Amino acid sequence: MAMITFEHVGKRYGGRFEAIADLNFSIERGEMVFLTGHSGAGKSSVLKLLTCLERPSRGRVLVAGRDLASLSAGQVPFYRRQIGVVFQDHQLLFDRSVFDNVALPLLIQGVPPLDAARRVRAALDKVGLLHRERALPIELSGGEQQRVGIARAVVNKPALLLADEPTGNLDPQLSADIMRLFEDFNRIGTTVLLASHDLALIARLRHRILRLREGRLIADEEAA
Amino acid sequence: MKPTPKAAAREPRPRKGARAQRISLDSRYQAWLRHHRQVALDSGRRLVRQPFSSLFTMLAIAIALVLPAMLWLGLGSVRALDHSFDDSARMTLYLSPGSSSEQVIGLAERVRGEPGVSEVEVITAEQGLQEFQQALGVGDTLSLLDANPLPATLLVTPLERDPAEAERLAERLGRLEGVDEARLDLAWLERLRELGALGQRLTLGLAVLFGFGVLLVVGNTIRLAVENRRKEIEVVTLIGATRAFVRRPFLYSGAWFGLGGGVLAVVLLTLGRGWLSAPIGALARSYGSDYALPSLGGGGSLLMVACSILLSLIGAWVAVGRHLAEIRPR
Ligand SMILES: Nc1ncnc2c1ncn2[C@@H]1O[C@H](COP(=O)(O)OP(=O)(O)O)[C@@H](O)[C@H]1O
Ligand SMILES: [Mg+2]
Repeated sequence: MAMITFEHVGKRYGGRFEAIADLNFSIERGEMVFLTGHSGAGKSSVLKLLTCLERPSRGRVLVAGRDLASLSAGQVPFYRRQIGVVFQDHQLLFDRSVFDNVALPLLIQGVPPLDAARRVRAALDKVGLLHRERALPIELSGGEQQRVGIARAVVNKPALLLADEPTGNLDPQLSADIMRLFEDFNRIGTTVLLASHDLALIARLRHRILRLREGRLIADEEAA
Repeated sequence: MKPTPKAAAREPRPRKGARAQRISLDSRYQAWLRHHRQVALDSGRRLVRQPFSSLFTMLAIAIALVLPAMLWLGLGSVRALDHSFDDSARMTLYLSPGSSSEQVIGLAERVRGEPGVSEVEVITAEQGLQEFQQALGVGDTLSLLDANPLPATLLVTPLERDPAEAERLAERLGRLEGVDEARLDLAWLERLRELGALGQRLTLGLAVLFGFGVLLVVGNTIRLAVENRRKEIEVVTLIGATRAFVRRPFLYSGAWFGLGGGVLAVVLLTLGRGWLSAPIGALARSYGSDYALPSLGGGGSLLMVACSILLSLIGAWVAVGRHLAEIRPR
């Protein structure tokens, strides 16, 4: 069964204009896929549909075989706990430590503190920031902040990891480091869908690429 | 656990037996308790971190509570007053001047035998004079008078408290031979009762109005708090927080504000009572009364604090509900 399936998905925001039009694709478990296209092509919209921040105007979005339209408002939080999301602006909370930021998903789920601490340290270790757990996000560099965001997304060991322009604000070297992290997670079985308009960067990485233009899929290039 | 497509997205987990299920339920309850404790403490700490604005909110709550509470207490005294005057349904029969004591006693017997009469007390002309002198503090000046100008009187307590009934009885007794006049002064008692009823409505109205004020004060404070923590709300919503989870800290803030406001209101009332009790006591004593200002007491104080917490919680609930709906993560 595919991890993600889009079936004739359309998305309108308000007026007549379609941000996404008749989008069809499928991503298997364990794949790593880039979603690319110019600004405004609809990449973020795809991810918002996957996180239930938006609902499709047409068609169906399935994750692990389940139609997201069938989720009630009360079920959405529990669905979101099963996927990890990384944002361009990393969405860290600046009034609490790196450790507490990464622990947030576990706090929300009521994981016992000792268990949570162990998992937070494991996640921070994976992104190479174990030594900064007591730091405040403001004391970290941009690349480090993004790695904290990634640690928070994976602390729950999600089967699906979504990322929207995770390297948007970083220089090429840091961007490559971040991408390598995603590849590490993909290697241990996590399905990764990563939106990026940095064509040069993703071309080098040799994964499947979905190209969007004006909300339509214009190319689906298999991993080289 | 029946397999659902949703569960398939999770990491594979070992099957859980009934025992494991129970433990997991138990640990979920533990987690819930832990989170409540954490959030309660954290909300409290946030209040302490902004001592002035917190204090102002609590003070506003307290002031909104003190006024109706004061009226309510005052009303309690009026009611107590009313009660102490209950036997004022008594009537006074003024006997014809110059009645002999045999006549007075005979008349008293007669009145006692009348239907509708509960008790009869005889006040002879001499007793009347003495009381009069005492009450006025005029000493012996009246003894300069040749004859006692006061008539003997009978104090009659009717069986019925009903004013109309008492009025009819007074009329009947007033026609008896040897009775000059039967006087029943119920009008002021009626007025007192009407005033009491008015006061009750006034208090209720003010309580509702000021209770609404508490809702608004807390609601506005919580609205600002929600606005201040907008980013945090967005983030936790994105990573799977339920509405209850998001709402919880604000409800606790509301409860803390309510607790603080309620306690402050009790303190204000107690201080105010202390401040007024000396002059009012002196005033009451000069009227020969041992009236003291009513106090809330332990039960009343608890009730006041409980009301304050409840009102603040409702205010917080409404505000959070309204403003969370506006916050959507982007
Ligand atoms: N909330 C929204 N309301 C209205 N229009 C939106 C909204 N979000 C995105 N859009 C529009 O939809 C189109 C696709 O946007 P987006 O999915 O963010 O593209 P990308 O992430 O590829 O830049 C754009 O034209 C954008 O202006
Ligand atoms: Mg975008």
